[in-house]
Amino acid sequence: MISAQGLTKRFGSQTAVDQVNLKFVEGQASGIIGPNGSGKSTLFNMLTGHLPPSVGKIEFGGLDITALPPHERVGMGMARTFQLVSVFDSMTVWENLVLSTGRFADRGSGHRQFFFGPARSKTILENCLGALERVGLQDKAGARTSELSYGDKRMLEIGIALSLKPKLLLLDEPLAGLSDHEIGDVVDLLHEMKQNCTLVIIEHKISKIMDLIERLSVLNDGVLICEGDPEAVLNDPGVRECYWGKQVSNAKG
Amino acid sequence: MFDTILYGLTIGAILYLFSIGLSITFGTMHIINFAHGMIYAIGVYLFISLLPLLWGSFPLSLVAAVAVMLPLAYLVERFVIRRLYGDGIDYAIIATYAILLIGTDLIKLVWGSGPKPVSDPIGIPIQIFGTTVQTYRVVVFLCAVAVFVALRVFFSRHVIGKIVVAALKDRDGVRSLGLDVNKYFSIVFVIGSGLAVMGGVLYAPITVAEPYMGFHVLLLAFAVVIVGGMGNLTGTFFSALGLGQVIALTGRFYPAGADTMVFVVMTLVLLKDPIAELLRRLVGKHGIGNFS
Repeated sequence: MISAQGLTKRFGSQTAVDQVNLKFVEGQASGIIGPNGSGKSTLFNMLTGHLPPSVGKIEFGGLDITALPPHERVGMGMARTFQLVSVFDSMTVWENLVLSTGRFADRGSGHRQFFFGPARSKTILENCLGALERVGLQDKAGARTSELSYGDKRMLEIGIALSLKPKLLLLDEPLAGLSDHEIGDVVDLLHEMKQNCTLVIIEHKISKIMDLIERLSVLNDGVLICEGDPEAVLNDPGVRECYWGKQVSNAKG
Repeated sequence: MFDTILYGLTIGAILYLFSIGLSITFGTMHIINFAHGMIYAIGVYLFISLLPLLWGSFPLSLVAAVAVMLPLAYLVERFVIRRLYGDGIDYAIIATYAILLIGTDLIKLVWGSGPKPVSDPIGIPIQIFGTTVQTYRVVVFLCAVAVFVALRVFFSRHVIGKIVVAALKDRDGVRSLGLDVNKYFSIVFVIGSGLAVMGGVLYAPITVAEPYMGFHVLLLAFAVVIVGGMGNLTGTFFSALGLGQVIALTGRFYPAGADTMVFVVMTLVLLKDPIAELLRRLVGKHGIGNFS
């Protein structure tokens, strides 16, 4: 589905991501973990086009997309959510969803929508409504986004990503800052989404998504140190060492 | 006194029309665009040249000057400003300042360096509150109000406006929606440039056209943008009108200090937090309300 070869990002003399080779298989859900500052978000930003890589190549669906800007990658079926939830507080929930329809105007598909209000294109309307129902916010469509709880904002962000009809969805710490109850809702939704979408999830709360993912990759200091079956990866001595330090890992192992 | 206030409103109107583009460019692209002064000045000279060709019609020449300047503004955005995005503010200042200098010398080359007067297209005075004032100045002010209302509608109702407002807050978020943010920034950049030309042309009959007019308005506009809040379009409107009053009122009593006073106000705004903090300490915690 998406693969990276020799992906590297340098900020001045700092190397945030160092020659990472990754491959995410279609239909699978994969997790990425690593200590803070290990380059997980930088890796995501390169995959989505928000940051140009210093060196390396990214392929999506067999095409080289290394130089493509983010909006074109979205057009190809790639969506993402952010570590800090990214919705537009100045608008209502519904407007947040419909904003993405500007993309349809971009393509000149004939569904050019100039004004908000009654959505003119039925498909856009149904698509947005469907996304809203899937994240359970249909009753709050008219609410100002700034009035939503953090959990609802996260749901809305995922809903916006869903309305883009992605084939690949990259989620950057989707569970961060949520209550246990909200985490349950998001995890349920992820299970459901997995049916027709490839997922890549950065998450510290790895125990919450162990049932979901088939594959786990570990980044440390920008280097991919381990990947494979989630259980096996978590028991890998190298991984334990980067999280708990050498001595602890020796004592335990 | 009323004529002074009206003069302030007129100056404020011009400053507003010019500052919109500057404020948007700063808010969206974090670029200080000196080339805005070039668009403004060349637009006015172009207007002066078009005037006799278009049967001396002021509105027609204004529209024509704006129409000719829009593609030029687009070229500046596409080939200079956009390339500098993310390269740090210093490169952008150097490059756009160079464009301003080139534009100024181009004006001197084509139109000469002497000032060029533009006559008042209306010329009929009217009586308001017992004072005789130039109708033209009232019209200029009303034009700015109309632009303000139109922009409010554009940014709150139109899809492009909505997208730009969203991108002002969260550029990466908008890009993740599959929207080409640069395209929308281009559109508002060109709109801002058109309004700057409009402001320059409307101002010409009140003052004169001269090659360095872009520099002068730029300095004042920076103060407007800083006081109004970068990227804040409503703030820009009220700060332009407020600073227009500062210029007019200072000019009435001490003409030499009119422009200086603008920067005194700007400095006070920039220092408002430290000053409020100082006052709070002097008066004590409970003595004073929330300043900032």
